[in-house]
Amino acid sequence: MPDYQNGDFVLILRSPFCITRFKSGDLIIFSHPFYGLLIKRIHEILPNGDLYVIGNLENSLDSRKLGYIPNANVIGKVIWSFKRKKYS
Amino acid sequence: MLHRLLEMVDNTIHFPEAQAHCDIPCGIYDPSAAQIAALTVVRMMDLMAGLQSGDDKSRIEYNNSMSRYIAVKEEHAEKAKNEIRIIWGDYFKKEKHPNVDDLAQKIMQLGSKCRQSADRETALEFVDAINEFSSKFWETKGIPTKKSKAPYAPALEMVYPVF
Repeated sequence: MPDYQNGDFVLILRSPFCITRFKSGDLIIFSHPFYGLLIKRIHEILPNGDLYVIGNLENSLDSRKLGYIPNANVIGKVIWSFKRKKYS
Repeated sequence: MLHRLLEMVDNTIHFPEAQAHCDIPCGIYDPSAAQIAALTVVRMMDLMAGLQSGDDKSRIEYNNSMSRYIAVKEEHAEKAKNEIRIIWGDYFKKEKHPNVDDLAQKIMQLGSKCRQSADRETALEFVDAINEFSSKFWETKGIPTKKSKAPYAPALEMVYPVF
């Protein structure tokens, strides 16, 4: 199951305010020149600050296709989420 | 309740939308886009090498043309890398196709070198590596391939599927 579905809201701490607090496992929002605005999880932070990101499903886009994400492309870190009610 | 409130606000001010982006997957893969992009990189390098500088007026033309060739070289080197990245990530599975990772990595590095320099030999290696990738791709589908010269400059030998 993906972490987020259509209609969920997330609250982010915008860069640069969160720039020193990135760590592996953080959920971030970043812009990608091909895919636009994406939400992914940080898997690894490279020495130059670039980020290797992953999704949590087998078919998720990740940095194998997205490439390493430059720090400058990060919009912010997710600090809260508001998920839509799921009706069974 | 809070989600409902956010929905109402969103309907008015339209929050930016981020995608989580899982692949469908659609099953439509074709390395030809990468091959054409790599050919374009070689073509741009040839055009760059062929430009002649001269007096002040022609220097403006020279700078204009060179800038455009470089921009297209950059765009298509990255496009080739991206097309390969998609097929490598979505289509090839490590356990079924163990010898593709190194080739894909080589293509990524050659693509970056093509952006960083105007060395034709590097660009030719880039085309060769993508042709090899194309061969492996069509092999997985049981489709034979042939080598033919592209019908446009730089007229390099390319791998084409035989349907």
